[in-house]
Amino acid sequence: MSASPSPATASNDAVARMAAAVGARYCISDPSEMRTYECDGLMSFRVMPGIVVLPGSTEEVARVVRIARELDLPIVPRGAGTGLSGGALPVPGCVVIGLSRMKKILEVDLENGWMRVQPGVANLDVSKAIGSAGYYYAPDPSSQSVCTIGGNVAENSGGAHCLKYGFTSNHVLGARLVLADGSVVDLGGPVLDTPGYDLLGVLVGSEGMIGIVTEVVLRLLRKPQATRTFFATFPSTDEAGNAVSAIISSGIVPAAIEMMDRLAITAAKAATGVDWPDVGAALLMDADGPEAEVENTADNAVELARAAGAIEIRRPRDEAERALMWKGRKSAFAAVGRISPNYFVQDGVIPRSKIAKVLREIEEMGNRAGLRIANVFHAGDGNLHPLVLYDANVPGQEQAAEEIGGEILRMCIREGGSITGEHGVGADKAVYMGEMFSEGDLETMSLVRCAFDPETRLNPGKVFPTPRLCGDRPGPHRPHATELSGEAWRE
Amino acid sequence: MILGARPETVYEPSTVDEAGEVVRESALGGKTLAFVGGGTDLDLGAAPGRIDAVVRTGRLARVVEHAPSDQIVVAQAGLTLGELQRTLASHRQRLALDPPLPERKTVGGIIAANVFGPRRARFGSVRDLIIGISFVRADGTLARGGGKVVKNVAGFDLPKLMVGSLGTLGLITTATFRLHPLPEEEVTLHLPGRTGAGLRSLVRGIKEAQLEPTSVVAAWREADRFDVAVRFEGFQAGVAEQRERLAGLVRGEAGGACEILDEPAAQAFWSRHDELRTTALLRAKLTALPGHVERIAGDILPGLLAALSNPGFLWYATLGLGFLAGSPADTDSAARAILTARERVAGLGGTLTLQAAPSAIRERVDVWGPPPPALALMQSVKERLDPQARLAPGRFVGGI
Repeated sequence: MSASPSPATASNDAVARMAAAVGARYCISDPSEMRTYECDGLMSFRVMPGIVVLPGSTEEVARVVRIARELDLPIVPRGAGTGLSGGALPVPGCVVIGLSRMKKILEVDLENGWMRVQPGVANLDVSKAIGSAGYYYAPDPSSQSVCTIGGNVAENSGGAHCLKYGFTSNHVLGARLVLADGSVVDLGGPVLDTPGYDLLGVLVGSEGMIGIVTEVVLRLLRKPQATRTFFATFPSTDEAGNAVSAIISSGIVPAAIEMMDRLAITAAKAATGVDWPDVGAALLMDADGPEAEVENTADNAVELARAAGAIEIRRPRDEAERALMWKGRKSAFAAVGRISPNYFVQDGVIPRSKIAKVLREIEEMGNRAGLRIANVFHAGDGNLHPLVLYDANVPGQEQAAEEIGGEILRMCIREGGSITGEHGVGADKAVYMGEMFSEGDLETMSLVRCAFDPETRLNPGKVFPTPRLCGDRPGPHRPHATELSGEAWRE
Repeated sequence: MILGARPETVYEPSTVDEAGEVVRESALGGKTLAFVGGGTDLDLGAAPGRIDAVVRTGRLARVVEHAPSDQIVVAQAGLTLGELQRTLASHRQRLALDPPLPERKTVGGIIAANVFGPRRARFGSVRDLIIGISFVRADGTLARGGGKVVKNVAGFDLPKLMVGSLGTLGLITTATFRLHPLPEEEVTLHLPGRTGAGLRSLVRGIKEAQLEPTSVVAAWREADRFDVAVRFEGFQAGVAEQRERLAGLVRGEAGGACEILDEPAAQAFWSRHDELRTTALLRAKLTALPGHVERIAGDILPGLLAALSNPGFLWYATLGLGFLAGSPADTDSAARAILTARERVAGLGGTLTLQAAPSAIRERVDVWGPPPPALALMQSVKERLDPQARLAPGRFVGGI
């Protein structure tokens, strides 16, 4: 794990200029006060930034970016810092631009289904603001009560209900972006199909490397008429995995379908008091939509779960029971912390038809290393979240846990999946990008990044396995020879 | 021929490697290229500059992999949508894209031209369904983005970058899509003679009632009247229930009419829709917000319709997307009407782009309209990926 390098705090000049740009109280340069910003949710990676600046407007963000550029300092944007891949990890001496002060909802248009927000608005606060009117914002990452929309855009955040409704990229209609040169540009907007390249599509999931989002236009959905939930237990993850395949192959599109294995169930029970039986695996499924459709869907799914070998099916009698079931699922991560001194969360994706096989392999990996692995994950889209349990005080265990994490990612690649389904590549997984993508693929992504940020000033050290430079910056427009000769015709 | 450009050479590679080789050699020779799939959308965009050679994708027409239980398909660029859908239908699945002319439209063309049909109302557009892409860059490098699983955030989203890029960033060779189950049941309801205000209240009513139609299309009939088709798809019980609720909703309105179309009648409506979107000499796409429909119907449409013979207009009511069709009766007045409409749509935050137009109109009206605010970034992306501007130069937004 990387240790903190010797602090390279910002020069007095930098501090003074940043303070002039945003106000001294929103400028943090004292190392002890900057500790919070050393890492994000991936706490094993820590780097002390040079300075932390908390701008309050698009104009202030632009000013800060221009100053950083003049001083040739790298910039690391940051939302709530809940990311699990080190996407907001500082680099030595950098300017961290924290967007937590920009948390206003700017505009709401329910008739046309959109809302304009600042990036520091928490994910759940979007749905809260419009819930009573019967609308909601679909992406629901587990950290949704704290994680921010700006961070969601950077990471293309998912969540349990992305199976039916898609990810952040399917629900962002527009964005205002401060580019690495301090200029401000709007991409997309509430009206669909802005002519030109889908740069908004490129922005979402670009991990803070192409611009700093200062406003986001979100798509709002009308709440479904009905939701049906059931909880099914199985002897092992084999039967549960087969049930998932059977349900989805039948033409049902669940809103969410989550799986927990024995260890995760045990942990969730201990933490929340849900009265789940001790079984090898459990599924929690939501179906939503118009009443009659959902009724039918849920009944069919239950039958398929039984046919796949379910031991018991529970259907909540009321909203309180349903909420408790989901609480059990959502608390499973934290709950694992209670049964193990330390754990390491992995995020990888496999084709869902391979769930049963892959979970057996993961179990064997754990057995070989003498470590327990809990699985609680988005089964519907094959998005695994193995939690490798270890004790940092036992020599070698932490390293063994990390090695298993790597082995799991390699298996995901072998099975035709991905090294990350929702946590992002960040600093953590950059090293695996070269195993999932060819040099040509990575070079192409790098060219796209360079088109936005030719000096690679924004969030350096993320996503790409080796540091990349952009080479000569092409001129603003070089006319083609045919244009100069008058053969080509331009409007 | 693409908008008047006559290429000297036509290549038809039969493998992805061959396609890469063709592009690489063209790069060495400094030749300009255009890529052609089914050739249904060659009218899109501005007239390109010189095109030395065309690469046709017709021989890259394989389904590379269909994994029914994972609900994904990997298909080569030259495969037609119709052929793809037949393969998928044998497993009771579909790609939830329904642009007109599926027997001619190809996978690559669908992506490059970002085409869609009425079902976009529920399933989204190409960007929402594509999960992976392979393409040949201008220098011949083979590049891949995304993957074969729906949930995947590794690396930059190259699939979305290619959507709608009209062959100006690379030659698409294969793509991977997420699939949806074929519905058990489908029904179309016909709501004749609604006004702009009636359309707006219909969309509000549908949302209010939590109905989930897969298509809501209004076709202009006469004066200020539109005939609306609303389609529901899904399991039988759900479709029947939604059908009855919508019918009840509409019949409860003063003068509200609603008929449930039998299969031939539904087919006739949707065929007429497809025809309107494909055959006219002049075709334009309008974008605005769904709630702007009264302004579109009242302030914008009349001038456009009056300037065309055999005019038609379709409005995707829940999306805020419109399609105008007709023949310019008189070039000058048609051009003036388009420019006036464009200005008014811009006042609503929307756009008007020409999708097909006679050259006399093109001489008077920029097909793309005013460049988007991010044009400089778009030019920058183009310069990084095609620094010599050899791929369909001049066809795209802002002369890209």
